[in-house]
Amino acid sequence: MPEMRSNLLHNFELQHRRDAYGFALRPQHIQTYREYTGIFKEEEAERSEKWKNFLQHLHEQTEPGSPEEKYEDALQAEATEFEKSTVSGSDSEENEAKATELKETIVPEGSRKHDESEATADTVSEKGREGDKAEDAKLKEEIVSEGNGKDNESEATGETVSGDSEGNKVETTKLKEEIVPESSGESNKSESSKEIVSVRGKEADGDEDIKLEEDIVSGRSGKGNESEATEEAVSESREGDDPSRKPDSDGSTDCDPKKEQISKETKTIQTWAHVRPCLGAIENMMSFRVKKRKDMKGEQLTNSRDHLPSIDEEGSSERESEKVFKKKVSVNKTSKESENASRERGAQGDGVPPEPYFSWKEELECLVRGGVPKDLRGEVWQAFVGVKARRVERYYQDLLAQETNAGEIKDHDNPSGLPRKYKRQIEKDLPRTFPGHPALNEDGRDSLRRLLLAYARHNPSVGYCQAMNFFAGLLLLLMPEENAFWTLVGIIDDYFAGCYTEEMIESQVDQLVFEELIRERFPKLVNHLDYLGVQVAWISGPWFLSIFVNMLPWDSVLRVWDVLLYEGNRVMLFRTALALMEIYGPALITTKDAGDAITLFQSLTGSTFDSSQLVFTACMGYLGVTDARLQELREKHRPSVQVVVEESSKGGRVWKDSKGLASKLYSFKHERGSQMDEKKTTVNGDISHAKPPPSDLDELLSGLNSEVDSVPDLQEQVVWMKVELCRLLEEKRSAVLRAEELETALMEMVTQDNRRLLSARIEQLEEEVADLRQALADKKEQESAMVQVLMRVEQEQRVTEDARRKAEQDVATHKYAVHVLEEKYEKAMASLAQMEKRVVMAESTLEATLQYQSGKAKAISSPKSVQNQGSTVDSPRRRTGLFGLGWRDRNKGKQTNVEESSNSKSTTERTDSSTSQKETEAKEQEP
Amino acid sequence: MGCASSIPDKSAGGLNNLDNGGAPDAKNLRVKLVLLGDSGVGKSCIVLRFVRGQFDPTSKVTVGASFLSQTIALQDSTTVKFEIWDTAGQERYAALAPLYYRGAAVAVIVYDITSSESFTKAQYWVKELQKHGSPDIVMALVGNKADLQDSREVPAQDGIDYAEKNGMFFIETSAKTADNINQLFEEIAKRLPRPSAPDS
Repeated sequence: MPEMRSNLLHNFELQHRRDAYGFALRPQHIQTYREYTGIFKEEEAERSEKWKNFLQHLHEQTEPGSPEEKYEDALQAEATEFEKSTVSGSDSEENEAKATELKETIVPEGSRKHDESEATADTVSEKGREGDKAEDAKLKEEIVSEGNGKDNESEATGETVSGDSEGNKVETTKLKEEIVPESSGESNKSESSKEIVSVRGKEADGDEDIKLEEDIVSGRSGKGNESEATEEAVSESREGDDPSRKPDSDGSTDCDPKKEQISKETKTIQTWAHVRPCLGAIENMMSFRVKKRKDMKGEQLTNSRDHLPSIDEEGSSERESEKVFKKKVSVNKTSKESENASRERGAQGDGVPPEPYFSWKEELECLVRGGVPKDLRGEVWQAFVGVKARRVERYYQDLLAQETNAGEIKDHDNPSGLPRKYKRQIEKDLPRTFPGHPALNEDGRDSLRRLLLAYARHNPSVGYCQAMNFFAGLLLLLMPEENAFWTLVGIIDDYFAGCYTEEMIESQVDQLVFEELIRERFPKLVNHLDYLGVQVAWISGPWFLSIFVNMLPWDSVLRVWDVLLYEGNRVMLFRTALALMEIYGPALITTKDAGDAITLFQSLTGSTFDSSQLVFTACMGYLGVTDARLQELREKHRPSVQVVVEESSKGGRVWKDSKGLASKLYSFKHERGSQMDEKKTTVNGDISHAKPPPSDLDELLSGLNSEVDSVPDLQEQVVWMKVELCRLLEEKRSAVLRAEELETALMEMVTQDNRRLLSARIEQLEEEVADLRQALADKKEQESAMVQVLMRVEQEQRVTEDARRKAEQDVATHKYAVHVLEEKYEKAMASLAQMEKRVVMAESTLEATLQYQSGKAKAISSPKSVQNQGSTVDSPRRRTGLFGLGWRDRNKGKQTNVEESSNSKSTTERTDSSTSQKETEAKEQEP
Repeated sequence: MGCASSIPDKSAGGLNNLDNGGAPDAKNLRVKLVLLGDSGVGKSCIVLRFVRGQFDPTSKVTVGASFLSQTIALQDSTTVKFEIWDTAGQERYAALAPLYYRGAAVAVIVYDITSSESFTKAQYWVKELQKHGSPDIVMALVGNKADLQDSREVPAQDGIDYAEKNGMFFIETSAKTADNINQLFEEIAKRLPRPSAPDS
């Protein structure tokens, strides 16, 4: 659950991180983008105003054209009608307007048919069919000149058919004739009548024109069922025609499948839409270019079988160019015709056919550089690429049908392996193409898949190359599927021929060319990049390969594409890349290592929101970078790339031996002649990628031309230099402003980068801190343990001290006791000594008394002597007793003996000793 | 691009980035790393996971190549700045790959463990680098999408064996779950030849 919520949140955030085109914005650019949205809006408003005026003006300018410019008139008629419809605005009105428009176009269509058929009649009169055509056309011409639209048309068809004199056709035209009057005045009518015109057109000149009409019918949405019904009726009727028409017109060989396609187109409504007619003039101009390219490539294309059916294609484009040539460049007519006559081989010999002059071309160029308005972009791009001239009816559907039958491996050119590889790659890349873009839902992906598969089948030499998914996706956002297909065909086959093939030779060559250009223009920057070890191709490679998709902000990408598609070559690619180098180069100079330089460059280019600055810098600043110059440089570098590609396909390791670019450039400059020879041989040798042999002639011619043209070139250069000077002055001012901007950006970058470094260091430091903390914690633990131990020890100490103190006290008490005892003992001794003295005294007194008594007894009587004897026997005993008493006194326990002994004394003695005994006892009890 | 043919002589050699304009000191390495491998194996996802810590299941197709850099710090207090070139996977872009792997010190060859075809393609890249890469290039073989064990087609042992045979470092990662992504780059950083200071 929380995961889901976070996902939702993420998605929600993403929704807010998309630009006006629905593409994701990088988070760091959101702020800048917001700042620019206001500018974008203003520019856009200005742009659409300018374009509206231009298209109107274009119409006005060409309308009163000379009577023979009927084709132009026809286009302009269409254009006016369209202008009306756009001005009127609301849907219902628009439908009406369309209806009238279509009605009115019928007339000029007729005149166009006439012109074309006349032209073909003039040039090729071998076939009877074409002769018929011319007749028809003349008839038509008469009718048209009478001036009445609708009725004449039906008559015209009637005439045409009757001219063919075939039963079926008469029937069908009758059918049609019935439809026309029935539906007159209604929008259905216009369509059905147009259908008639288209059928007639088919008879007159094959595919091309019917196709266009059908396109209008099927492409325009908002048509009722009725119109579809009539359409089907028509197609049914056409079915009836088929067998009869097949033999006499080579252009309509595929009539039967055409019917299928019509029904298909009614089912899938938006597979093809016609470009709005107001762009017809531009379209026409560009299809001239397409035609020219095809002339150059015709033979190559026919070589590979599953390319455009070149016969048809050439035929139609031939006619188209014929119109232009005949009316505009009448002088060239003869040469053009001769070219037609010798088309099979001589197409290349013509060299550079003069382009018709369009007075508004410069104005258009200016407008394109200013940007194409959003709502016109899809169609304008188609006009630029020349989708109309490129388109081959049913071709796309055929490719898709092949796809559905792929299981049976019907496609003879591709044994199953190849397309499967592409198919898988495409499947892988579908979800990775503008992931999350709102328009690329399930259906969008399906369209993208069909488109890419169809292209892979259309041009197996390219197949599918990553990056095309982005181009196709981008185109699908701007136009219906089949239109996108033809636009993609134009871009990849023509503009980027050889760039996206298996070997990508032209892409590699372009990188070398760009490197040379940049070395020439920004030596300082390149020196710095060399110093850092950065190769320019690292940066510019992805730019070129992706045509800046995903590299620049979308507004800038589209602006670059506007110019690129208008110019019809890769010049703008180079100019834009150079402009980016110019704008951001100075910032790169400050970088210190390769990584920083590339990161900085990526982020700076990714925030190139100032699309106008970019485009103008590119277009005005690098006028010297022209297609001719690029071709020249490409020729110069191609051989080296081809050698490497060839060698590497053989498994060799050539790149190690190949010289560095600088030295190679040097050698090119000094050995141009020999290189030219080499080039020729390689060009001749390479069948699959280089131009066919006649291109050598062409090269020589163009080489001569460039030499001849060198003088006016100088004058041009002077003018250009002046312009350049003015521009530079102006640029200087903007550069100063820009520098400030860049400085801040750089500061940001630097801080960001520092942050990265710092974060690494912080991480490291944090680790260290953590370690230290751990250590600290350990130490603390140890300490606390120690403290505890200490405490215990202290306690123990205290206990022991207490014990000691107690012991001391004990000792003291003991001492005291001893002292006391000693005192007692002394006292006792003293008393003993006294007692002894007393004893001595008592004894002496006793002796004295005894002596006295004995003296008396002797003197008085004899019985007294017996008594005296007994007493003398006792006396020694008493002495010992006395001495013994002294000893006994020290050893207290034997006092009793003393008492006992003293008990045995004479009665007098006994009393004395008992009294002394009593004294000592009393003394003992005192303490 | 001009890769194969326009080699400035100075960068034709091996680990130039380490000594030439590269790391000025042994403590702060700068390494050019290139990611190679079949389309859709998750090269860009690995880089995005490593550099930004993000995973986007619907990332864009890489056209040509894209560049990102990221610095990591190692235990021994050295930092390694990876300059990562994430190349386009489609076969034909192999023609442009030399432009990016030339002079790279590290090559990370990625395959998808749920696609044996991508493993074959990885082996092609290994051979290609052995032939044309710097002689002392550090190579890592990475089996990505390791979170999709159920649809595994390439046993881990195959990867280990092949890597061992070719002297590579092997790891299975998942950019989706971020499994082993940082480990991959840390391990690479450890295996880098250190420019010992007195060396030059």
